Amino acid sequence: MATDKTFAQSLWSWCCSLKLTIVLASLATLLTMGGSLVMHFNPRVFSGMDMQVLNDWWQLRGADNLRLSWWLPAAGISSVLLALNTLCCLIDWLGKVKTRWRKSGEYCIHCGFILIVTAFCWGGFGGWRLPEQVLQVGQTLPLPELPGHYLRLDHFQPVIGDSGRPLDMLSDLSLLRGDLVLKQEQVKTNTPLIYGGLVVVPVSFGQRADGFRFATANGIIDLRQGAQLALADNGLDLQVLNFWPDAARSGAGQVVYRGDQLNNPAFEFVLSRAGQPLWRGWYLLREGLPQELRRHGVILRPTDPLGRYYSVLTANYDPGAYLALVGSVFIGVGVWLALFSFYYKRARGDRPDVA
Amino acid sequence: MTKIMLYSAFAAYAASVLCYLLNVGLKRRSLQTVALLLVLIGFVIQTTQLGLRWNAAGFLPVTNLFATQFFFSWALAATYLYFELRYRIHASGLFVMFMNLLLLGSALPRDPQLPPLIPSLDTPLFTLHIIFSFVGYALFAMAFSLGVLYLFQRHIGAHQLPELSQLRKLNEEAIFLGFALFTLCMIAGSLWAYIAWGTYFSWNIKSVWSTLVWIFYAGMCHAKFIRRWQGSGYAWLSIAGFGVVLFTYLGIGLLLESNHPLE
Repeated sequence: MATDKTFAQSLWSWCCSLKLTIVLASLATLLTMGGSLVMHFNPRVFSGMDMQVLNDWWQLRGADNLRLSWWLPAAGISSVLLALNTLCCLIDWLGKVKTRWRKSGEYCIHCGFILIVTAFCWGGFGGWRLPEQVLQVGQTLPLPELPGHYLRLDHFQPVIGDSGRPLDMLSDLSLLRGDLVLKQEQVKTNTPLIYGGLVVVPVSFGQRADGFRFATANGIIDLRQGAQLALADNGLDLQVLNFWPDAARSGAGQVVYRGDQLNNPAFEFVLSRAGQPLWRGWYLLREGLPQELRRHGVILRPTDPLGRYYSVLTANYDPGAYLALVGSVFIGVGVWLALFSFYYKRARGDRPDVA
Repeated sequence: MTKIMLYSAFAAYAASVLCYLLNVGLKRRSLQTVALLLVLIGFVIQTTQLGLRWNAAGFLPVTNLFATQFFFSWALAATYLYFELRYRIHASGLFVMFMNLLLLGSALPRDPQLPPLIPSLDTPLFTLHIIFSFVGYALFAMAFSLGVLYLFQRHIGAHQLPELSQLRKLNEEAIFLGFALFTLCMIAGSLWAYIAWGTYFSWNIKSVWSTLVWIFYAGMCHAKFIRRWQGSGYAWLSIAGFGVVLFTYLGIGLLLESNHPLE
């Protein structure tokens, strides 16, 4: 019985030992030092690490490239063991807190470190990332890992400097659960939408052509998908069914979609009278107005493309983010306490304990 | 104006190094006083210049290689003055100020023009991140100098240098203060990264090595309690640690592609 107790005490002392801390910290440091260089020189394997949470990346890339990535679980295990060793030290100190309260700062840092390592593991296994999602005004983006939740872009406004340099991008975003608005935020640089563990940040923006401006017999009009033009003189209606920024006519005469970059824009029109369709077809601007439209007296002369901004956003979910924040508060408080304590002890002439 | 102030600070630091060097041979107390005075003059000039640049830019201008070298040099001079005025480390100043001279000297040929601010850097968290980071680096540089002096004193010996116990104590203080400030730098940086990019840790090589610097010095804060790592061992660790810091600051910024490029 006495031997068991001694063994348990020895085991506990070993778990709390400073030498174990040094060994584990050195191991984690050396593995990560080497690994970081492997990482840097093998972007094919490692470049996507920030686009996914660690567990997803490991399953997609890491596990298939063990020759290059073995150090990562090794360093991870060392770090987790270091956190456990730190936890043992913290528990040990809590048992002696009455006599060692002056070390509160140092042990706040220990506590913060344990929380951050825990939060990092939680986020790495329980989180997800949706990088660089393109969203146009009015469009919604489902969050697949949060069923029933959507992001909706209500308004977008880029901020451009005098020199033409983009300064910011203001995205009015709504987070919805079904039809219920959970949160609204104007997302811009350094101002994300945060809800629970979800954080949505702006990445960039762009402009996509979504129509054309035309000169007509009755003045200037803007035509986009869904627009309707009443040709007053003869009771005809011209409706825009589709607009494609880049289209081409196939050998069979069919119009095919080629992309979102403005190159060979095309409109699909329906011409009708009193609700009765007279003609339906494509107008490729480079080909000129179709014969059928001209025959019915339609006059359209394209002048400028019409563009609509879109916002590029990244949505990350990290269930451990708040825990990490609590950990950083512990560390921050601990640092200041340790600084005061250090100078207090120095003033008293205390020397560090020698193990 | 910028160049004049820059060269004036450099000249003051160069003259202080010269005074410390002469003092090694002549052993005159007055030379130490003049050297300290020159460091103070250089520091005041640098502080004024930093204030003017900050005011002109509207943000702490530490966003390119010139500006980081300049700020690092200012932080190193401040660190040295703290140790000199508090502990009277005297001749130890030669090595520290020589390092500072090299740092500021390498900034002289670079373009001091203020670059436009990248929008994501326009936050107080960036300012805190930078200040804590470079003052932390400066304290690690100080610890490196004290480590070298400790080994010099132990193996060769010099009357003008503080005693071994004093050097050890100062080294431990520099490491502890550096670690404390670098920890605050990491907290500010992580919070900033979270609101700017949606993650508090990135697998970019700079972030990884910054974490390594933190773990290394956290380990050093523990190592001082282990007898075999005290004294010479701690001095060697201080030297190795500064190697890690230099690689993180300059090596990654200049040699490798990172999210903290230095141009």
